[in-house]
Amino acid sequence: MGEILNPYYLQIVSFLAINAILALSFYLPFSAGQLSLGNAGFMSIGAYTAGILSLKLGAPIFISIVSGSVMAALVGILLGFPVLRLKGVYLAIATLGFGEVVRVLFLNLEITNGALGLPGIPNLNNYFRGVYSSFGVKEGLAGLDMGQVAALSTVALSFLVLGFCIMFVLRQEKSPVGRAMAAIKADEVATEVMGINTTYVKMLAFVQGAFLAGLGGALSAHMTNFISPGEFGYHHAIDILLFVVLGGSEVVWGGVLGASIITIMPEALRFVDDFRWIIFGALLVTMMVFRPQGLIDEHVLSWRPFKKKSTLESDAVNEVLHREVGN
Amino acid sequence: MFWQQVINGLTAGTTYALVALGYTLVFGVLEIINLAHAEIFMIGAFIGLVLVTETGAPLWLALIGAMIGTGLVGWMLERLALRPLRKNNVSHLAPLISTIGVSIFLTNVVLKIFGPQSNRFPSNIDPRIFDLGVIKVSLLQIVILATSFALMFLMKFMLAKTRIGKELRAVAENPEAAGLMGVNVTFIMVLTVAIASALGGAAGVLVGLQFSAISPTMGVAYGLKGLAIIIVGGMGNVTGAMAGGLLLGAAEVLSIAYIGSSYRDAIAFIMLIAVLLIKPSGIFGELESRKG
Repeated sequence: MGEILNPYYLQIVSFLAINAILALSFYLPFSAGQLSLGNAGFMSIGAYTAGILSLKLGAPIFISIVSGSVMAALVGILLGFPVLRLKGVYLAIATLGFGEVVRVLFLNLEITNGALGLPGIPNLNNYFRGVYSSFGVKEGLAGLDMGQVAALSTVALSFLVLGFCIMFVLRQEKSPVGRAMAAIKADEVATEVMGINTTYVKMLAFVQGAFLAGLGGALSAHMTNFISPGEFGYHHAIDILLFVVLGGSEVVWGGVLGASIITIMPEALRFVDDFRWIIFGALLVTMMVFRPQGLIDEHVLSWRPFKKKSTLESDAVNEVLHREVGN
Repeated sequence: MFWQQVINGLTAGTTYALVALGYTLVFGVLEIINLAHAEIFMIGAFIGLVLVTETGAPLWLALIGAMIGTGLVGWMLERLALRPLRKNNVSHLAPLISTIGVSIFLTNVVLKIFGPQSNRFPSNIDPRIFDLGVIKVSLLQIVILATSFALMFLMKFMLAKTRIGKELRAVAENPEAAGLMGVNVTFIMVLTVAIASALGGAAGVLVGLQFSAISPTMGVAYGLKGLAIIIVGGMGNVTGAMAGGLLLGAAEVLSIAYIGSSYRDAIAFIMLIAVLLIKPSGIFGELESRKG
């Protein structure tokens, strides 16, 4: 047991949760038809805001994390006004550019310590250690040493946050706002004609995505002790996109699955070592050829081994549509 | 001083323009953002390097070799990663991801062969400098400017005057109608990706010459700038890509001279956001709704 629960593995598990939150931050605007690649930028805003608050002002760790997320959301509102007028790849490139501008800005600002990055950000593990010792637990708990207990607490916290985010997104999808987002994705003009304020709904989805990306960044800053502008560049933006596309871009669980696979894959593929990214690139192309919607979609989620007929909502809609067109 | 900076900026700008031209051609004809283009550009530089160092080929031969090599890579990219997707009518996201897959693949193949460090790109060009009074131009700059402008002129000529160019424009406008008129649409699409890649490969060699160092990750910065340029110039617009590239080169060098070098990599995107706010269709773009 002690072997498996080493801090390194536990940190990867925490990162799995963070990456899943980032996947949600891409999924939310995407579920409203907005292809935004600015999430790495929002993530770095969240990480730096939280890091600077904790490090330089000594703010309590949870207040820093919440402030980081709120800051990212505020920047999201400011960015949303000009860029949400764009569609498709235009939006993607503009938001990718936003991430690049944020990176260059943080590389040159005094307060972010430039290219050297911010070292010594208070760590969640240490925080939990402090909390336990204030309750008199100093030697370890249930046969685990303090390092493991603290790391397990961080894992628990990150999954708690992830669970809450997933629940939020799932609940929202069943709400009028969620329906409006799905409608915009299907046909923006038709949605507008139905009397829905599409600008408001798109902005809402975009800002929610920014908030979650900020949250992921703020959490990760307090897990790694150290952040630098290079971590949140183009490659990270692409990684976040890959989580969702690999897992399945049409359902919430897709991004969660994709984030899990891509987080664990480099560890699991250690035996092929240097070739793993070459294989991964080739796999990605193959997947787009054979299964472009990602690993899971609505059909997979509604699969019931003992039921004969599919009760999928979208199937019913399609059936009606086909009948209409047929007549 | 100012004119000197402008010349330096144009030299950098012509390579940006060549890269952007590749993006814009592929987008114009296939409506796909080819995110592997930056890596093809990088591969062009490495083919040039191998040709010069291993076979001792002269520079012009290395340039042509790199263009042929990257043209072939582009052909394979279209054949293996784009054409299979066209058949089963998928979302516009799928080809984007597929090209990301190719870019991950290519970067890591080159990393595997050459390692992550940057390689010295030998230049056997005479380091002579011509003094023209107001400005000084090195022979290297003349070579880069002349090659890029020649390639851009060839490209423009081909598009405007030749049969292939007309077919290419027809496919860009409407693939189905072009197909009905007897244009071999599939062939034009492969050819477009191959030509775009060859231009990228040429840019790779020129950038290698310019900075005399290349690395497997050199593509990303150029790729991002190329993407910004095609929006600034107007998506799918060839003239826009050329002008946008030159404009960016000049803007960057002038900003280094008068503001400082720290914000150099952000200039492209500040330009991009400014253009999006003022004229969302790009400088040379026509007024049309922005469809994804």
